[in-house]
Amino acid sequence: MAGNPFPLEKPALLEAYRRMRTIREFEERLHVDFSRGDIPGFVHLYAGEEAAGVGIIGQLGDGDRIASTHRGHGHCIAKGVDPLAMMKEIYGKKGGSCGGKGGSMHIADLSKGMMGANGILGAGAPLACGAGLAAKYRKKGEVAISFVGDGASNQGTFLESLNLAAVWNLPVIFVVENNGYAESTSRDYGVAVDSYVDRAAGFGLPGVTVDGTDFFAVHEAAGEILQRARSGGGPALLECKMVRFHGHFEGDAQTYRASGEIDDIRANQDCLKKFAAAVTGAGVITAGELAAIDREVLDLIERAVAEAKAAPLPTAADLTTDVYVSY
Amino acid sequence: MTTIGLIANPVSARDIRRIIANASNLQIADRVNIVMRVLTAAHSLGVERVLVMPDNGGIRALLQRHLSRGHSQHQRWPLVEYLDMEPTSTVDDTFLAARLMRGAGVAAIVVLGGDGTHRAVVRECRDIPIAGLSTGTNNAFPEMRESTITGMAVALYASGRLSAAQALAPNKLLEISINGGAQSDIALVDAVISTDRYIGARALWKPEALSAAYLTFADPQAIGLSAIGGLLQPVGRRDPGGLAVQLGHGAHSAHPATLRLLAPIAPGMVRPVAIAHWQAMPADQPFTVAQQGGVVALDGERELAFDPGDRVQITLRENAFPTVDVARCMQIAACDGLLRLPSTP
Repeated sequence: MAGNPFPLEKPALLEAYRRMRTIREFEERLHVDFSRGDIPGFVHLYAGEEAAGVGIIGQLGDGDRIASTHRGHGHCIAKGVDPLAMMKEIYGKKGGSCGGKGGSMHIADLSKGMMGANGILGAGAPLACGAGLAAKYRKKGEVAISFVGDGASNQGTFLESLNLAAVWNLPVIFVVENNGYAESTSRDYGVAVDSYVDRAAGFGLPGVTVDGTDFFAVHEAAGEILQRARSGGGPALLECKMVRFHGHFEGDAQTYRASGEIDDIRANQDCLKKFAAAVTGAGVITAGELAAIDREVLDLIERAVAEAKAAPLPTAADLTTDVYVSY
Repeated sequence: MTTIGLIANPVSARDIRRIIANASNLQIADRVNIVMRVLTAAHSLGVERVLVMPDNGGIRALLQRHLSRGHSQHQRWPLVEYLDMEPTSTVDDTFLAARLMRGAGVAAIVVLGGDGTHRAVVRECRDIPIAGLSTGTNNAFPEMRESTITGMAVALYASGRLSAAQALAPNKLLEISINGGAQSDIALVDAVISTDRYIGARALWKPEALSAAYLTFADPQAIGLSAIGGLLQPVGRRDPGGLAVQLGHGAHSAHPATLRLLAPIAPGMVRPVAIAHWQAMPADQPFTVAQQGGVVALDGERELAFDPGDRVQITLRENAFPTVDVARCMQIAACDGLLRLPSTP
């Protein structure tokens, strides 16, 4: 094999794999721990969707902001939020990303440009427009990304944000993470326009559809869209067709899935397997190097869970901190 | 019962060229309108049944809404049946649909899509005539034509008013073989060698990454990679042979540039392309790709990655598959009075 055929140097490829693997193991561990009753509240897992998150967010800096969804752990890890603090947050413990007071669906880290997961579907899109407006005034070439699921793309907030971003020519990218189901409702049943690219076209925005299970397809398409937005080209929509390995929420019986569907997507549409096959097949990275990352990630997640379990709960006094009003 | 097939790709014209080249986006609603016009026009000339590829991209759902409203005084359509298959939203759907349509004995297949969709149909089904309608990005193969006329021409052939000799035209294609057939595929218009070695977002738009282009035909009015050949040495769709173009690189490379050519390699994107040399591509003569490691792009999309040391060969075939020659069908229909009716209903 001669040379590296990929658009990233080897260290960047290894980092992309590490982040995707970290998301996967983080989520798979939550799947187990939630079923044991260890975790308060609800969690919505991003396993299976890693290539989209890392393929896009991996090209952002801390000055670029993202508005996430209810399924936000993957976006956090891709954006560089500390997994140890994240695990504490999801366990509701002190030392968490938000002091243990936000939990899974309100996890945020503004120092990393992660404006927050969001329990209100479609609520992130207007926030991204605000961040995009700020970026436009700052003139540093920063962008904002709004992630939205296929179901939430039906929300008025999302459609209004497309309009606002278009008329103000904001550096905002709307990423539709299309995993085929709005909670349990098939996209075919619940989305009239059927193509999210068509939805963008209705507001005069360019839209692109990519295979969201192919890291390199996402990376290349997102790279062009980001470059366009950073140079004043304005907003655009990127639809990533992807799969989710788990239910809408943990505990979801998933009776709406076809028989054998999950086994099939885990076998044939696993973005991590595709990535590993591509980079090892090209001789750029060895299976041993990937296995070493796998071990390090497992150790990290183990440590994150142990520290989260050992951490104290927030106290009553913590209720009046991190709020807009002084008590 | 006079039956035709209809394959409409819901995901053509969705790729990165919307961002880099302001390429058009034909909305699902428009595609379904095109389908409806094919149905009603074909029905007017005797097509009784149309087998349609099901999809999960919106065409079936919206078409069903149209059809469920029932016939009106303005619109009547034939019996519409969906193939018994589970859509996967991949190119495999087109492959399977083409096979099922052949098995069902359709007289012809109307295809809505880009070059890639037509390539997928032909790959599975070289013996059923196809009639293409362009809904892709920068198509060289399917024609930009009003679907009503295409529907009429297909019906004239399918209903037996026109013979195969009258209605059909032969087409060329390229066969691509890697390592003696370990991997193989076809292209209807162009097989282009890129120095990229990953599939990524599929489209090609960077001239510096192009190494060679093999063309079945080269139209100076085309856009896309075949335009490079079209502006060097036009080759007609029905002419014998094709064209092989070696792209140029630096003065010290194996293929130094001898000229630079301005070519519309994507919609709205006219770029200088360095040319080393070009030559006619006779039928049935394999051309061996000089590039060591890269990707073969088929009809504008990166498809087949190959490594240094792999032997990539490209062979042009003539009379490879038939298409419905819409212009000729309508000309004969006019000259022979096929559409004339008695003066009283």
